[in-house]
Amino acid sequence: MGSVGLALPWEHKLLAVARDGERRVESGKGQAETVRTSEEPPQDAAVAAACLSGNLQGYERLYQWQGKRMKNLARNLLGSPMDAEDAVQETFLKIQRSISGFRGQSSFVTWTFRILVNTCHDLRRSRVRRKDQVNEDVDSLPPHKELRAPGAHPSLRMALESALDRLSAHQRDVFLLYEVEGFRHAEIAGMLEISETASKNTLFQAKRNLRSMLEPPRSSATGAI
Amino acid sequence: MSIDCNDRRRILLDGSSDEWAALEQHAKSCAACAKELRAWKQLSVAAGELRDYQESPALWSRIESSLRQQQAAPAPPKSFWIFLDSWRRISTAWRSALAGAMAILLAISSVYLYKHPARPVVNQGNALLKTSALAEVERTEREYISAIDKLAANTSPQLNVDTPLMASYREKLLVLDSAIADLRAQAGENPSYAHLHYQLLAMYQAKQQTLEDVLETKR
Repeated sequence: MGSVGLALPWEHKLLAVARDGERRVESGKGQAETVRTSEEPPQDAAVAAACLSGNLQGYERLYQWQGKRMKNLARNLLGSPMDAEDAVQETFLKIQRSISGFRGQSSFVTWTFRILVNTCHDLRRSRVRRKDQVNEDVDSLPPHKELRAPGAHPSLRMALESALDRLSAHQRDVFLLYEVEGFRHAEIAGMLEISETASKNTLFQAKRNLRSMLEPPRSSATGAI
Repeated sequence: MSIDCNDRRRILLDGSSDEWAALEQHAKSCAACAKELRAWKQLSVAAGELRDYQESPALWSRIESSLRQQQAAPAPPKSFWIFLDSWRRISTAWRSALAGAMAILLAISSVYLYKHPARPVVNQGNALLKTSALAEVERTEREYISAIDKLAANTSPQLNVDTPLMASYREKLLVLDSAIADLRAQAGENPSYAHLHYQLLAMYQAKQQTLEDVLETKR
């Protein structure tokens, strides 16, 4: 899609998109930064302790705190809200099964998202295997995208989704975690078990690849990135 | 801060705020850098289009229900890795004592095997233990049982504490001892049946594991 030269509204003024309790602003670094209007709730340890005690209210607090973010990441990794809900549910079950092994070496949220990312990868692989069994030609199947709430630039979103599908899984993970979910490189490093430098390098490569995929052909590149 | 086009990649990758400000300043007079910088920023802003935090009204109740089911289900048997993990949590003194006991057992068995090499016997089928092998198995079993008995003696004060957990451990040990007694009676009648000795070994290992769990609880 993007690589064949979509006329994307790159030159339009893209308004910052507000989200719950947060706003997106352009920092001096030229990167969209997540600025939280309220302080990060000092509840990471409290939620971890509640889950560790086996109290289901602990899990509910985790869901209320991070559930939407988890589902959004899962949907962007899997392409479908239904698969995303399955992934979030499976993640909670895995947390319950392995909470006794949580040693607090990373934050509870980092640990949770590490499990979520791995669960999404497993689901994605099993979905590909299922498709392989049903139909050898996976490419002939309809895309697994489903409707989402309309954003300010639906064509831009579709182009970006299509381009993300063509990134390596690693680059896609880092791009989504940093640019969409607003995690810091240190947190991403903990989730993906890589170094902070590797996270920065991977984001750079991902953005460079996305840019080349989304850029219109040079012959018609008027005002394109 | 003075920068030029050659610094652009480094700053895009991991520049400080000051370096970004300097790059923006430089971009005002450099079309190539201005284009790159704009594209870089727009990718970040475009990523916001992928943010869709809609409510999923039924999702939590679904998750809660599955969590309850999983919580109510009986715990799966301890895996080898969990066993290893619990082993790590046993105090160093107990680990040393157990490792020492095992090392002594191994050394005694090795010396015995060296001094009494097994004589070749006519193959009468793999399911039956030969006389020399049987003697060796029985001797090793006795030593293993002795080591476990010592372990049991050490856990005795903790086991006698009147708590539900210790009561459950006592019951489990009673069941294991009963199974061990049955198997030993059968092995006494059919000493050459290798599978009976394997089953006995499994029971002793279960007992050893249970005793170690009791010790771990003590900590």
